[in-house]
Amino acid sequence: MLRYQEDNELHLDFHGTTNTTLNYIADNYGVDALKGILRKTGREVYKSIHEKLLKGDASELLEHLNWFYFREKGKYQLTVEENRIVLEVFECPAIRHLRKLGLEPSAHVCLQTSEVNAGMCENSPWHSEVRVIGEGHCIQTFMKDA
Amino acid sequence: MIPSDHFVRFYNEVFKFLDEKNGLEKYYLEISRHQEMHCYDCFMKKGLQGMEEYWGHIRVEENCILDSGIEGRVRYTHMKRCPSLTKVLDNDAGACEKYCIHCPGWVIPLMTKCGFYYIKYQHAMDVPECFGACSEYREEIEKIRDEAKRQGFKYIFSNLDEFETVEKNRACRISLQQKEEKNDPK
Repeated sequence: MLRYQEDNELHLDFHGTTNTTLNYIADNYGVDALKGILRKTGREVYKSIHEKLLKGDASELLEHLNWFYFREKGKYQLTVEENRIVLEVFECPAIRHLRKLGLEPSAHVCLQTSEVNAGMCENSPWHSEVRVIGEGHCIQTFMKDA
Repeated sequence: MIPSDHFVRFYNEVFKFLDEKNGLEKYYLEISRHQEMHCYDCFMKKGLQGMEEYWGHIRVEENCILDSGIEGRVRYTHMKRCPSLTKVLDNDAGACEKYCIHCPGWVIPLMTKCGFYYIKYQHAMDVPECFGACSEYREEIEKIRDEAKRQGFKYIFSNLDEFETVEKNRACRISLQQKEEKNDPK
């Protein structure tokens, strides 16, 4: 069960504010500071997912990935095996909306995925990795220690 | 991707970080500049009606419970349940105690730039309810500020102290509007 499961109207322009914020923090405080904030977001905002992952349970992570990419009309494929979850995003909704707004995606735009995922997995038997294939196209992998 | 639904919870983490570095004010200015993309032309050309249009769209997309309207020379708002603070309070990471300040933090510089007086007032920072008003007439917002003080509102934010800049920008806006009307008489 998801801790946060919004199902009402969407305000996609928040992707624009996220983009501005990623640049602002990286430019003024450095990329490591930005990574720190994003990891903390993964660990603490998504505490419920994090705590389940600590126990080895990826059920809420799966629901989270599926619900929010579906809700934002992303083009994606989710493949689930016992110790491996692969989310291939063919068209990232955040980057699609930035382009619609006429904004250049931040050089750090994909850190919001890789660092939040890493924060959710921190100190758990699950590990994450994000491979960027091209603009808006990535493969997010979660692997569980055998 | 941080889902757009969860942006405010990320924003809240950014505020906690910046507050420790004493860096909130400068960041609000950056957000204000970013928001100009959505608001500046609309407010400059259409004034209070433009604000109704912009925040009317926000009211729907952000699921606000809000009363707003234009009465005489003032646009007023009564946010009965702020969706932003509501989400931040419903958050395992806990709320930044200064969370609400981001709103006047970006709105005030934009209003000043567009030549409008603005006020936001509320009783508490952890209750998702606040009041706001905007006008190009200083005396209207002064009246509202005085009444808010009389009623004991604890937090009052406004750009009344920047009246010289507001007046200068108001004159520029009016001059631009007159030029546009001259070029495009309807």
